[in-house]
Amino acid sequence: MESRGWGGFATGGLVAGAVLWSLATTDVELSRLFSAGPRIGDFLARMFPPDPSVMTEIIKGSAETLRIAILGTLGAVLLSGPLGVFASETMAPPVVYRPVRTALALIRAIPLILVAMLMVGAVGLGPLPGIIAVAIHATGMLAKFYAEAIDGVARGPIAALESAGAGPLARLRYAIWPQMAPVIARDTIFRFELNLRESLILGIVGAGGIAFYIQSYVRSFQYEKAASVTLAVIAMVLAIEAFNVALRRRFS
Amino acid sequence: MTEAVRIEELCFSHVASGLPTLDQVTLSIPPGEALALIGPSGAGKTTLLTLLDGRLRAWRGRVSVLGDALDPDRAPPRARRADTGFIFQDFALVERASVLRNVLNGRLGRIRPLRALLGRPSKDDLAVARSALADCGIVDLAERRVDSLSGGQRQRVAIARCLSQEPRLILADEPVSNLDPARAAEILSLLTEAARQRGATTVFSSHQPDLARRFARRIVGMRNGRIVFDIPTAELTEDATARVYDDANATVQPRLKAVP
Repeated sequence: MESRGWGGFATGGLVAGAVLWSLATTDVELSRLFSAGPRIGDFLARMFPPDPSVMTEIIKGSAETLRIAILGTLGAVLLSGPLGVFASETMAPPVVYRPVRTALALIRAIPLILVAMLMVGAVGLGPLPGIIAVAIHATGMLAKFYAEAIDGVARGPIAALESAGAGPLARLRYAIWPQMAPVIARDTIFRFELNLRESLILGIVGAGGIAFYIQSYVRSFQYEKAASVTLAVIAMVLAIEAFNVALRRRFS
Repeated sequence: MTEAVRIEELCFSHVASGLPTLDQVTLSIPPGEALALIGPSGAGKTTLLTLLDGRLRAWRGRVSVLGDALDPDRAPPRARRADTGFIFQDFALVERASVLRNVLNGRLGRIRPLRALLGRPSKDDLAVARSALADCGIVDLAERRVDSLSGGQRQRVAIARCLSQEPRLILADEPVSNLDPARAAEILSLLTEAARQRGATTVFSSHQPDLARRFARRIVGMRNGRIVFDIPTAELTEDATARVYDDANATVQPRLKAVP
């Protein structure tokens, strides 16, 4: 009990210290909060009414974001196929799956926006760095999911086909694949949804897509146009969600 | 005619895998025999059957199946694996596939590998599968998915898959211990009758001596990896059963099984 009391005291002290340190070293002028209300009001008023004249830009930007998500997901699927096999306990020995899993965890730890900035530096502006960034970033998660799908397969049917004289490819085709396919499909759809959501912001670092327009309209004070694009982004996210709910029901 | 199974001084021990050991097992089974292996859990029944199926290796001794020596270092050739059918306690079916697809899977050892991967099933394969479905009384379930079936129906599918291999030796590992007593008798009767009509040799294991007595002509009792007795069914006495089971329970806990 004694030590627990001390532990609680120490934790409280640590949290209080962290908050005090942050307050003391950050320039927090509370007076600025009070004048924020009218400014936000002004900002929202300038966004209204949304300017529908940017429809062409919205369609162009949305289509590009969609293409980045589709091609990025395709790249991730192609990379995750072999990497998923290498990361699975049932298909690879420990000397292979352990380092592969560590590498995948490292990839997952890097935020997409950072990967995208690196890729813009490497291949220049446009949708290409966005596609590469999404493919790399998504592989960290998707390859792990694929490995788990492989490891989750029931052994019985594989043994039964081996017993019947089926070769290794026939076992893969008729015992392993039917068990894996729905899991793989569900995971890939889930990752596609995440890719689409995450790639909406890629335009901010010049990696293509609809966020480029939001950023350029805000910078040039064309708030009515920025509002239209923002509404389009919200509509897109809602549409993706509805689409995925329908798809997931199909694969459950 | 050569024996269906000939085992001489077979020993198997693999501590790491936790499998029961086999100790100096010698057994020969003539073609067409219906033989039951009885004994408590851990006696080595599953080990012996899996070994005869060619899926367990690194054993010592001499084993021949259907006239060919079994190699303790490598898997048997495909045709030989197809000749030997295996029925699993937990059915080992592909749950998300149809009954017909599962039964056709039994044909995979009989057709060329490339054809197995690409082509649709041939007329001959479909005919064999349909006659196996008919023998198991499940023609009307052909298009159903396995995950919608009951335990008894699943074991019928598994037997149909085994029959579609056109096996000459059928090894059944506790085929009915996941089923209720009425289903159990039904399934064993179906299995032994289908084997008899095809002239196939049957070896099934069971932990229920009364089922062994009803459906086998010969009974082999095992305990601690050894054969304790090997007698015609008519000679099975309470005393013989007791030699396999009594005070074995002191060292091996009886396994409790869920009835689905």
